Formats: sequence, C-alpha cells, structure tokens
Amino acid sequence: MYSDTQKNIKAISKAVDAWLQPDNLSLKNAIDQTVKENLFGLEDIKYQIRHLKRSLKEENLLKWGNMSNLNVSQLKDKNVICLHAGNLPLVGLQDLLSTALAGANYWGKLSRKDPYLLPTLIEKLDDQNIIGERQYSTDLSYFSNREADAVLFAGSEDSANSVISSLKDLNIADFDTPRLMRTAHFSIAFISDHEKETMEDLTEAVFRYGGTGCRSVAIVVAPFKLDSQKCHFTDYIEAFWLKNPQHKKPDQSLFYRYATNKALEINQAWLNDFLIEERISKPTDKFVLQWIQGDKHTLSKIIEEFKEGLQTVYTTSETQANDIQEQFKIETDLLTKAQTPDIWWKPDGVDTVSWLQKELC
Amino acid sequence: MSQALPKLIFYSSIPLAERARRVFNFQRSSNSVYSKFAEVLGINGDLSVDFPIHKMPLIPIRVFKEAEIKSFKGTADMLFKSSGTGNMTQSRHFVKEGSLYVEAIENEFYRHFPKESTSILCYTPGYADNPHSSLIWMLNHLVNEDPSGLSRFIPLQEPLKKVSLQPFIENSRNIVLFGAAFGLLDLLENGSDPLPASAQIVETGGMKTHRREISKSKLRNVLSEGFQIPQQQIHSEYGMCELLSQSYAIRSEWFTPPEWVYMTVRDSANPERICEPHEPGKLGVIDLANLYSCSFIITDDKAIMDENGRFKIMGRWKKAEMRGCNFLIDRE
Repeated sequence: MYSDTQKNIKAISKAVDAWLQPDNLSLKNAIDQTVKENLFGLEDIKYQIRHLKRSLKEENLLKWGNMSNLNVSQLKDKNVICLHAGNLPLVGLQDLLSTALAGANYWGKLSRKDPYLLPTLIEKLDDQNIIGERQYSTDLSYFSNREADAVLFAGSEDSANSVISSLKDLNIADFDTPRLMRTAHFSIAFISDHEKETMEDLTEAVFRYGGTGCRSVAIVVAPFKLDSQKCHFTDYIEAFWLKNPQHKKPDQSLFYRYATNKALEINQAWLNDFLIEERISKPTDKFVLQWIQGDKHTLSKIIEEFKEGLQTVYTTSETQANDIQEQFKIETDLLTKAQTPDIWWKPDGVDTVSWLQKELC
Repeated sequence: MSQALPKLIFYSSIPLAERARRVFNFQRSSNSVYSKFAEVLGINGDLSVDFPIHKMPLIPIRVFKEAEIKSFKGTADMLFKSSGTGNMTQSRHFVKEGSLYVEAIENEFYRHFPKESTSILCYTPGYADNPHSSLIWMLNHLVNEDPSGLSRFIPLQEPLKKVSLQPFIENSRNIVLFGAAFGLLDLLENGSDPLPASAQIVETGGMKTHRREISKSKLRNVLSEGFQIPQQQIHSEYGMCELLSQSYAIRSEWFTPPEWVYMTVRDSANPERICEPHEPGKLGVIDLANLYSCSFIITDDKAIMDENGRFKIMGRWKKAEMRGCNFLIDRE
C-alpha cells in the first residue's frame, strides 16, 4: 500500500517521464523558441535535458523525499511564490519540483530570459493532477493581491530589500513572510592532478553555461601554477568550445581587467571570451576564472574569506570531499558532478523541501 | 621630466586637455604599470597635441592596492593608505612631493572657505593616531595653517558646547565644522549645542556603514535641524587616498571638480564610453595633482553627472548582474 507521499512522487515521476519523452512536442517547441530568440544556446539546453533524463528517476525522487522526511499532506493549500533567475536553462526546475513534492501551490514568476521551458513541465504535472495548483507568469504583477506563504528566490543581501518591497507593493508578501534567499554565486575546484579526466571535468565545471550559475567553478586551487598547465588546459577548453560555443560574450570591461593584470604582471590566460588569472579576489565577475597554486591550507583561507557566496567545493575523490565537508561545514561534491548535480542538491546548503516543511507546517 | 610640470598642472591658462596630455606623456614614460596598461589598450607612444582628453585610458583603481604606483624613483615624502579593516587590502599612495598635495588642498579649500576668515573644527580622529590618512593629513595641514590658531581637532565622544565656540565669535572667525557623516550625527546625539548662525559644515565619507545607512538629503536635514544652520551652509567633500585633489559640493549634493581635475562617468561594461547625463556609471577621474603616481583612474564609485559637469556620488558601484543566480526583480 502506497502512502499519499509515495503516490504523489510516483505521479510526479510519471509527469517528468512524459515531459522528457522524445515525442513531447511542447518541449521541442519550447526549445526551438528559446534558441530562436537567442535566450540560450542549443548545446546548453540539450546538456541540461540529457542530465535531467538521467537524474529525474522515480528512485531519486523517492530518495529526496526520504532525506527530507517528506509528508505531502502538510503543505496543502500553502502558496509558494518562486522568483526564478534566468541565467541558465531550467534553473527554476528544482523549486518547481520542491513545491510539487511538498504538495504546495506553486506560483512561478518566470524569468523573461527563460519563459518557455518550465511551463512545458508544469503542463505535464497538471496533466497528472499533481497535488497543488500551479500558476506562472513572467510578470510579477500577475500575482498581485494574492497572499504567498513563502518566497523562494536568488539574490544578494543588498537586493533582498528591493525584492521584498516589490512583493509588498503588490500585496504578495511582506518582510515577515518566510523567505529562502539563495546568495551563493560561485564554487571552488580543489584539484590535485592534471590528468585528462580531471582537466575535462574542470573544463565542464568552469565553462558550461558560460560559467554562470552558482555551481560553476570560479576559483581553482591546484598544487601547480597556471603557467605550467596553461597550454594543456587551453587545449581542453578549445575542444569544449568547439562542441559547445559560448552563448554569451563578455563586455569590454573584461579586456580592461586583462590590461590591468598585464600592467600588474599577473599571470593570466586571455581566451577572448574568458579570462583565467592567477590572482584571488571576491569572485563576482562573470567570464573570469581565478587560479591559485596551493594546498588544503590555501583552500581553507579562501573558504574563510569568501564563505559568504560559496556554493560548493569540488574535489576529485569522495574521501577528500567528505573530509572537506566535515572540516569546513560546507557543501562538497565530486568535480565530475559540478554541472550534473543530484536532484536533491542543496542551493546555499539548504534542502528546499525540508525548508518548506519546516517553515510552513 | 620637465621641471615645469609640477607648476604647469595648476596653470589654468593652459587648456586642461593640453596639461593632461603632458602629464600622460610623462607618466607613460615613468610609470611602468600605467605604461603597460596604456600599451595593451593600444597607446605605445606619446600622445599627439590633438588627442582628446576623454580618450586617455583610465586604469582601474585596484592597482593602488596591488602595486606601488609611482612615476618617480627614490623615496616618497609621504605614504597614504586607505582605511581598511580585517582582511581588506589597503590602497597605498606614495607621494613624492608633499608640496603638490598642499597646493591641491589649499587651492580648492580656500577657494570655497577663505583662509583669512575661516577656522576649522575637525571632528575626526587626530593625526597622531592616523599618520597614513590623507584626509587627516589634509585637516591637520589646514589646522596648522590657520593664522588665528583657533582651528583644531575636537575630542571624539564629547559634545560641542557653545562656550568652546566663543573664541571664534570674538575673533570674527567663520567656523567650518568638518567631519565624517556618521561622526557628525554622533556629535549631535552626544548633546552638542547649536552652531553660530554663520557656521558651515563639511561632511565627508560614505553614507553607509556596517550598522547604518542614511541618504544624503536626510543627513543634510538632520544636520541642519540639529545644529540649527540653514541647509545652504552644509557642504560635502569628495576625496580618497588615491587622489590628491578634493572636490566640494557647495550648498548641495552636486560636486564640482577643481579646475585641474577632469571627471567623467563611465559605462561600467565599457569604460571607454562616457555615460549620458544622469546615467549612472563608474566615476572616472583625471587628477593632475597625482603627477607622481597615476593621474588617470577609474574608481569603483557609482556616480551620475549633470549637463554642466557636476557629479553626484551614489555609493559604491555594485554589479547589477553578478555571476551566479543573483538578479533584481525589476531588471528581469
């Protein structure tokens, strides 16, 4: 006999399977439209969809539910507004699935940069009569005068006030409404060798989606200097770009950064659409990878300095990942999974399903 | 180097673009950091006489944190450092000739607040505790230059009482109370008396600390009401360790640069582009008083400029679109 929670997970899984079928015309059209409007590159969308096909299995959804002590009946009639960022394709998918798993109503403020893909999954969830109602729009005012019980969004401490003020002006939420704000904006790769597999994984972790996304690597800590592996690494990058042309291009300020580094005699590699520099600063800029020669002590100092904003530290061994997680109390993962995370991965170290249950029950 | 340059930079009879061009050519040949920067941006030789001032390349201000920015050899007269806490790297400004800094300070400050009639009260930490602060050095100099001897640093955490202002009134001195925005608010909160009707206030520094934030207009209101002087007598100063010249916003929030300083607001995405009036960007500065360091700088301050070349500071530049999933609702 299945519980309501298990039944819900099974139904969600069925919806996801239907969504990912090769003959799903609505998804195909959404992809075509997204590419046609130059919102994302086809390769990045295909990569994301391929990954979801592998990871969105029923057993994984069940595993996520178990880890979150999921009880679907608890959040019935609760309204969760999700403000989705549009920096990589389907970036809001985990929040949509979290609310569906928790049985809450989903109000999705879709990004204007990614307005087509997510609705095709919502359509399939509705077809399966998944618990909760789902509504979406690219216009926040669509949700005016409806009271949300929780807000999920990505932002920064500086932007939080303006986001909540916008919601307050529209009578959607106020400063007392529980909110889960994700502030992480970069990850670190801690590598110990330059073997083919490591360099390929590193290339994917850095350059997929043009380096955007909090799971993308912005800092590499390696036991060797950039110069010693510059040509070697560049070969992998060129091979990657041949198959996955970078969709977004940097602005002129990146060249200024290169010129400044050159003036300061900082080792660097100018890749036209990306800059690798042997220097450490707060990793806020896009299209920049910082390469630091060092060991675990170096990593420790970097974590300490930039902990606020750090999503995950990747390593090439599970043992090392566990050690680092234990020692620094931060999210760790294998480098090879940087852009292919488990569906239950924790943005900012917080499991969204658990958070919803904790805050709204 | 031409011996005339330190004098020439303040000669207003020579067009600013021409003075800037000569300073550029001097720094290109004597400042290795700036020279390499200009070279990467395509300038390999001296600038020709018709080279436009707005095309002179501006180097990001971070270089003052990461290298010794010098256009001279040998020892410096002074070393200024930016205020910095914790792990923050401080900017360093090596000043070859203190006399240049003095000239920049006096030319602009006394233009607004005549030396013969002005005395200043500085509500800031003293010089002994801050030997590397360019602001405190400037205030200390102005205190020492006061012919009446009444100018001074006033003790922190103590209210400013009427009785202590009596000597200024008796000597017909116009008081300028100089302090950081939040310091002046503290001074009020500590129970200070109103200032004499003719007194003026110059506030400086940021409008935000780790624990509080205030808008410029609110600050002006509070200071005006608290010290009981009209808002027209409240001014602002804009300066920093990396710049030897200061700009003043007299009676308003709009700053006017000194005659030897060329300010522009630059597109943060493309620093070669000058923003339209009232379009926010990063403040670009050509400060000829930085003759022996680097005069051509793009700051990390967010600013707008009006049609008349006045500029307003709007805080630190923050990236609207950082890497990661950060976004602002209204920019979406």
